[in-house]
Amino acid sequence: MVFMNSGIRKIALIFVFSFVFLSFGLVYWQVIRADTMLDNPANRRAVLLEKRIKRGGIYDRNGIVLAQTKQTEKGRVREYPQKDMFQPLLGYATLQYGSTGLEAAEAANLLGMKEKSLVRKIQNTFELPREGNDLILTLDTRLQEVAYQKLKGRAGAVVALDPRNGEVLVLLSQPSFDGNTIVADWNEVVNSKGSPMLNHAFAKYPPGSIMKVVTSVAIFRSGFDTTDLYHCQGTTVINGQTIIEQNHKAHGWVNYDLALAYSCNNYFAEYGVKTGDKSFLQAAAGFGFGQSIPFDIEIPRSSITRDDPLPDKLNLNLFAASTFGQGQVMVSPFHMALITAGVANKGKIMTPHLIDRVLDSQQNIIYNSKPEVWLEALSVEEAEKIKDAMVLAVNQGTAAPGAIPGVQIAAKTGSAEPGGDQNTHAWYIAFAPADNPIIALAVLVENGGTGGGAAAPIAKAVIEKALELKEGGNQ
Amino acid sequence: MLNSFSLRFLTLAIFWIGLLVLKLINMLESHFLPLAVVFSVLILLGTALEIFLGYAGDRYLLSVAETLLAIGLVLLIRINPSLAEDQFIWANLGLVVFYIVLFGLRDYRKLEQYQYIWGLAALVLLLITLLFGVNIHGATSWIKIGSRSFQPEELVKVVLLLFMSAYLNNNQELLRVGTIQVGRISLPDRKTLGPFAFICLIVLALLAAQKSLGTALVFFLLMVFIVYMVTERLFYLVTSVPLVVLMGTAGYILFDHVKIRVATWLNPWLDSTGGGFQIAQSIFAISGGRLLGTGLGNGIGAYQIPLAESDFIFSVMAEELGFFGAMAVITLFLVLVLRALAIGIKASDRFGQILASGIGILIGLEVLIILAGVTKMLPLTGLPLPWVSYGGSSLIIHFLLLGLVTNISHNSAFSMSGVRVGKRVGIYE
Repeated sequence: MVFMNSGIRKIALIFVFSFVFLSFGLVYWQVIRADTMLDNPANRRAVLLEKRIKRGGIYDRNGIVLAQTKQTEKGRVREYPQKDMFQPLLGYATLQYGSTGLEAAEAANLLGMKEKSLVRKIQNTFELPREGNDLILTLDTRLQEVAYQKLKGRAGAVVALDPRNGEVLVLLSQPSFDGNTIVADWNEVVNSKGSPMLNHAFAKYPPGSIMKVVTSVAIFRSGFDTTDLYHCQGTTVINGQTIIEQNHKAHGWVNYDLALAYSCNNYFAEYGVKTGDKSFLQAAAGFGFGQSIPFDIEIPRSSITRDDPLPDKLNLNLFAASTFGQGQVMVSPFHMALITAGVANKGKIMTPHLIDRVLDSQQNIIYNSKPEVWLEALSVEEAEKIKDAMVLAVNQGTAAPGAIPGVQIAAKTGSAEPGGDQNTHAWYIAFAPADNPIIALAVLVENGGTGGGAAAPIAKAVIEKALELKEGGNQ
Repeated sequence: MLNSFSLRFLTLAIFWIGLLVLKLINMLESHFLPLAVVFSVLILLGTALEIFLGYAGDRYLLSVAETLLAIGLVLLIRINPSLAEDQFIWANLGLVVFYIVLFGLRDYRKLEQYQYIWGLAALVLLLITLLFGVNIHGATSWIKIGSRSFQPEELVKVVLLLFMSAYLNNNQELLRVGTIQVGRISLPDRKTLGPFAFICLIVLALLAAQKSLGTALVFFLLMVFIVYMVTERLFYLVTSVPLVVLMGTAGYILFDHVKIRVATWLNPWLDSTGGGFQIAQSIFAISGGRLLGTGLGNGIGAYQIPLAESDFIFSVMAEELGFFGAMAVITLFLVLVLRALAIGIKASDRFGQILASGIGILIGLEVLIILAGVTKMLPLTGLPLPWVSYGGSSLIIHFLLLGLVTNISHNSAFSMSGVRVGKRVGIYE
């Protein structure tokens, strides 16, 4: 029969298209929006799922417990045996206030939802995981403890890395809170001074003189002879802007090495500006400015100007100030530790990682980290030159307070002006031993004064401990 | 012959694997075993009956519907075991109804003679519902007899389809060509269009009065699609667009709950604990399923979404069986609709053509509107998902409709190759 076949065919076509359209709706919710829907505050899915599952534990590199879930008569309790030492990095996972930090970023792992193999996936489809996966971190509690004891009572951050592979050894932020009692202490913590909830290692600060490491690369690449002498008179005027040395000190005749060792602003401003803004911005880009750092937790991008993390050009006055880390340059202590690690590792910045292994509830390894290069920031020769200057800074320059008898370290200080009448932020970046580094770190003490005075002793203590542990064969 | 059985074995395999999974996770109470066995035996008996009586029609329609039913039963056991017990009885009854219509109805063409009885029956059924119905979930679409309640509007689907098929078959030429010229468009005269338009409008008005807006929308689109299919005049399809807008606006102004529905559709998150709760929970469940699903029995939606056993059963499915499971079910529905339309094309007479395609269109629209509702592509209108959702009225009626299509398919298989229309050839002679 052929009465109305074309009519039926058209209807059939309409239905085919409508059903295809319907399947786009499913793709939209189940693939594209799946994550954002889980974050919706009205969605109790995560909480209800969590109630059924025992959250996995978090351990340091030597198996020391940082977080674990214990079964008590009152139900499951999340314990943080190290109290406030690893906060706010670990964060919390509560029914009342949701979750933050590593507890939130690694929720899929800790709740056992992340499966690598298809077989495990299929198994989990028919059997809910009752226990989450354990995280073994790269952190070393013994080093963290040293940093914690030294920084306690002040605001700031300490980040230490193994420059050879990007393992994060110390990630300290102060002040912090006790994860065990966060629910009870909530109002007090939220309203207390110094932002205990904020991870200071990921917050951005003006870098001050430690930025000269970045400027150095621009100077090398512009073909200046770094043995040329420059006469520092304590002040210089660039484009009508007066550049002043700290404490108005005139450094006299300096070459590049001495300029870095003495932290001579005039040298870096004069030579830096001569290299041109393009060259400076290129060096900064090479070190990861304006880029997001590949890491388990999101870290704000370090930026050269307020409006654009990595602009195409800089006006001269801002540029001159940027060469020694003032102006609008902002960088996180975590990024600064990475830059230091790059110099220590002959120019290669390794991708930082915090998670060494993930074990499922039967203790099978389901994830194992492996070292990867993040950026090739500078050449071996450039890294060598900066290292030599940083060694000089320790031996006869501003970084001397960090010196360790018997071991050569390389370091650089920074005293960054936060603006206003506040005391300067104290920075200290270092790696050791200078020729064969096993640790690279950045210390920041908020409004701590000078880098050599406030930050160097903390770095020194952490490095000493790291070297001592290495002697013992533990690292 | 092997084909029929192998398709049924596939259906039963899906059913029993589902039950096995439920058993493994301790969600299957033991008294479901006899129910499941009876259901399986009935399916196989039906297949044997088809072979014995020389069924020659479409082999996929029933298999697909039975698969959907089996999936629905497994999901219902998981969502609400006591309702699932009921549903097993309705499922068995539905299969019986199907075979009675398939083999008991000697000549479906005779149904055409009673066109005005069908039209009148539609009006009477809806009127009775409006007068004596009880309000469940906001719509007065249920009649209570004793402890049982049923939805007459499901039966209206059948009589309305019969009325429309008969009427349009008789007036097809006039509707197609038209007798009154208005500008460049020729319209049918009042005598031709009058009775049809009258019954359609009253049906829609009665449904609106019951606040059964989902069904009203399905019926309206069904009317438009069927008229378009019969006349192949784009004019009818195009004029329906302003009509939909007009009716939608009228509904929005007249009914407060339509306003709420639209508001929660536009932004369910604003009031996700109040009016937007249903749709928000549905979306959360669907999103939670992702590609592979949480696995049967592991989802949250089955506990969280109101009406998870009926209107929102698809959301539970999308969560627990994931995108792939949900797509499989959507595909089964599309196959069902396309097979019904194909039977329409092959039918030996125009009444059969319109009826078979009309049933295909009806099922397609029901599925589209409820699924578009739970995935927030359209404002939510409460409709059961055919064969899958809990509900006896819907299940029996859809098996009845399926019986009619298969009957047409079976009959047209004998009327092919030039046998004169209207002359019955076959095993019954």
